[in-house]
Amino acid sequence: MFEDLVTILSSPTYMGYIWQGFGTTLAVTLIAVLIGLVLGFIVAIVKIAALNNKWMKIPAFICNIYTTVIRGTPVALQLFLMVFSILAFPGFKPYAAILTFGINSGAYVSENIRAGIMSVDKGQMEAGRSLGIPWTHTMVKIIFPQAIKNVIPAIGNEMISLLKETSIIGWVGSTVGTLTFDLNAAAGQIALGLGGAYLAPSIIVGCFYLVVVYAMVLIVKFVEGRLRKSDRR
Amino acid sequence: MIDVKNLYKNFGKTQVLKAVSTTVKESEKVVIIGPSGSGKSTLLRCMNLLEEPTYGEIWVDDKLITPVDPYLHRDIIALSNTYARMMAEAGDSDEVIAKIKKDDLLKRFEGAAYAKAIKKCRKENFLDINLVRRRIGMVFQHFNLFNNKTVLDNLTIAPVTLKLKSKAEAEEHAYALLKRIGLEDKAKVYPSTLSGGQKQRIAIVRALAMTPEYMLFDEPTSALDPEMVGEVLELMKELAESGMTMVIVTHEMGFAREVGTRVLFMADGQIAEEGTPSQIFGNPQTPRLQEFLSKVL
Repeated sequence: MFEDLVTILSSPTYMGYIWQGFGTTLAVTLIAVLIGLVLGFIVAIVKIAALNNKWMKIPAFICNIYTTVIRGTPVALQLFLMVFSILAFPGFKPYAAILTFGINSGAYVSENIRAGIMSVDKGQMEAGRSLGIPWTHTMVKIIFPQAIKNVIPAIGNEMISLLKETSIIGWVGSTVGTLTFDLNAAAGQIALGLGGAYLAPSIIVGCFYLVVVYAMVLIVKFVEGRLRKSDRR
Repeated sequence: MIDVKNLYKNFGKTQVLKAVSTTVKESEKVVIIGPSGSGKSTLLRCMNLLEEPTYGEIWVDDKLITPVDPYLHRDIIALSNTYARMMAEAGDSDEVIAKIKKDDLLKRFEGAAYAKAIKKCRKENFLDINLVRRRIGMVFQHFNLFNNKTVLDNLTIAPVTLKLKSKAEAEEHAYALLKRIGLEDKAKVYPSTLSGGQKQRIAIVRALAMTPEYMLFDEPTSALDPEMVGEVLELMKELAESGMTMVIVTHEMGFAREVGTRVLFMADGQIAEEGTPSQIFGNPQTPRLQEFLSKVL
């Protein structure tokens, strides 16, 4: 195994695969996280708004179906459905895959954000409303800033699991050089070249994942620290 | 003037308020007392619609803030299909209206004329609740200062967001208010660093920053340590002397007796007894009130 490790690390071809896969994984995760955050935020707001606004009941119902279906089915199924059936346009494969991860992440993020908003003391909204500030303004200026603080750790968690979930992107077909050739696919490609030795490439790829995850943890910690300003005594 | 007419509030199956009617006049200090669960806080919270009443109307300065309650308007009931049908059968208008009211028969579609009359009545008298709330300050049991804002921002956020004042004007007013309670050195700190008494006094001036005409107090001293109750009551007393119209739910009987101009004793969702402090505390009539006072005094 050590020989394999050395072989991989000293081979520009193999390392080229890994760096390329690394780029794909990072890009896919980053875009999917952004889509997920936007989508999750909207869904959470719709669900919260439906609690005291009857016009939001139908959108909230649709949002509930979305979260139930997405959280209730395997992401692999969603990926195949999107890539090979719903969005099966020529040349659209990588984008359909990214969209799938974004939509999938949005369902989880929405529940995190909803929980964060619900965790803010009811009295904060009442105080805002009692001063004559409309619901939307109170939400934006008082509730969100406090909610965000509470959901940052959960969002970080979601980002990390999304990073690793993107490793199935290769299942929809990944040849070297395509936009779906991610870290995991790179490991597979190298293993092929080494005659089926999966362990060594997987360990190297695992190290790359670990580094990215650790970077994410640091970023989350930094953001959280900035947001906790008003809690310091 | 806050006019509460025949107010009902149900939480699911439990009736919290039953046919409560009262009028809070200009510069009156109404103190609401009563055992817990008697609906005092609910009544107070209905006055600025933080709680939406099930039936009944609330009028603030001759403007309606709740939906129209048809049972309070005989002319509107008279337009309904149910009324027409029952009139054809029975014939006596008063009796029919009483029966409709008693059995709550105005739930289904009642015809175009009726719907139009309800809409018209609401349109003529209705006022947007956010505009009303600007004029009704509220102080909560748990202070509810905005945790993510500094004390100064807590005081300025409402006038600035609602574009009633520029930021500079609002801050000037805020500093004046903080000076009045002797906390101007706390302007830049976050609420989490303050004591309970300081928080509550700031909550009071936060409401005052909107220059309200009415102030509602929902058990303002119940969540405070005993040694901090005094400073909050002192500020409220000062406010009362300045002529503010106040409605206060409290367990501080001494304060009620000293500051109140009228005391409402609530029990089981109704106003069981009402009168001046000397009547209520000196000469209680109902056994329910006598029992309550013997426990708290």
